[in-house]
Amino acid sequence: MYRLLEFIRRSYVTLLFVVFEVIAIGIYARSTYYTQATLLARANALTGGLAGAITDVGGYFSLARENRALTAHVAELEQRLAYYGGLVDTTAVIDIAELQYEFMPARVVSSTINRTHNFITLNKGLRDGVMSDMAVLSPSGEAVGYILDCSERYSVAISVLNTSFRTGCKIKGDGYSGSLEWDGGSTYEVTMRELSKYAKIEIGAEVVTTGVSHYFPSDMLIGWVESYELDESKTYYNAKVRLAADFSNLHNVVLVKYIDRSEVVELERSAKSKVY
Amino acid sequence: MYRAGYYILLFAVAALLQIFFFNSLSLWSCFAPMVYMAFVLMLPLNAPSIAVLLSGLAMGVVMDFTMGTAGLNTIATLAVAYMRRPVLNLVLGAEVVRDGGIPSVQRMGSRPFWQYLIIMEVLHGVLFFGFEAFTTSYLWYQFLRLTVSTLASILFVWLLMLLFTPKHSSR
Repeated sequence: MYRLLEFIRRSYVTLLFVVFEVIAIGIYARSTYYTQATLLARANALTGGLAGAITDVGGYFSLARENRALTAHVAELEQRLAYYGGLVDTTAVIDIAELQYEFMPARVVSSTINRTHNFITLNKGLRDGVMSDMAVLSPSGEAVGYILDCSERYSVAISVLNTSFRTGCKIKGDGYSGSLEWDGGSTYEVTMRELSKYAKIEIGAEVVTTGVSHYFPSDMLIGWVESYELDESKTYYNAKVRLAADFSNLHNVVLVKYIDRSEVVELERSAKSKVY
Repeated sequence: MYRAGYYILLFAVAALLQIFFFNSLSLWSCFAPMVYMAFVLMLPLNAPSIAVLLSGLAMGVVMDFTMGTAGLNTIATLAVAYMRRPVLNLVLGAEVVRDGGIPSVQRMGSRPFWQYLIIMEVLHGVLFFGFEAFTTSYLWYQFLRLTVSTLASILFVWLLMLLFTPKHSSR
């Protein structure tokens, strides 16, 4: 007994180190990207105000560039509006779009690009009507991520530049879909996997969202095909996609709420339970 | 009392710099300096091992909470805190370490100081980026990330140490 006590007295720092380290490794090993987003959302309740103020100062210097991008985007939308104005059944098109999605601007409080699990913190939370699974787009309409967790005043989105991020994607104008993911490498490039060998893929083709995942509206720009090759089984393409959104200079975003999402998801769940 | 106030201030400055400035730096995906380590590295040479370990734990937990890393910072910071005394004994000698003082070029001498700073930062970087990239590919890219971020950490921690080393306390 005396020896045991003496051993503990002499090595209690080492023992404590081992205990703390094992606990920390255990917590980290069990954590998921959702745990990390939840932690960030809680932390932002404390640090979000100051972080937002600092980001505001930084954002001030990129106002000119953002204004130019917004002007270009407005011009594009005007052009689309003019196109729809020429159609006979315009009200039907606009009504469907208005019924399905709600849009809300938000400001980026903090974001990272230098980690393998990158998140974006926004200045809108539960009190503003933000909820999990809302899409996050750049002001020009490019896919940026989707909301994982919210506090009263802030929300945390998983970034496309997160190795746990997945969403459906396709070549614009084509029906075949693949899966989009980031490998943790370059922040300008993501990978489109498992795109059917029958897809019309070519260098420079636009890669857009499918809308099937219920996070993003369909046909939101993700980027452009930079290179592609058939996988070993010669049945699927894997392609490198150059991202359209500039994540290193993201100050404002647009949140998109798919109004019927919960109803659709519930219906799908119910149908699955009946099948299995 | 002076010492306690000094280290509380250092803790706050290192943590706030990391949270509000370095965490939001979106310059390059490989550039992720960890300046909060300055707090652990600047504890007195003869600080009791248990105090260093608990200081490392406190800083690691604060960083994990604010960065949403769920244990990752704690893993790396605890290891640095635990290894600090053996590394100091190795580069400086146990007797000099027992004499105390704040780690600095003036107190330790140029060569031992840089050995100490580099060993500690590399240990922290290897554990932090190693655990973070555990399941990802691009090994060469992760190595580049480790190298660039560790070099940047060494530079910024050194600057913070210069700023927080009282000129009159060579001991």
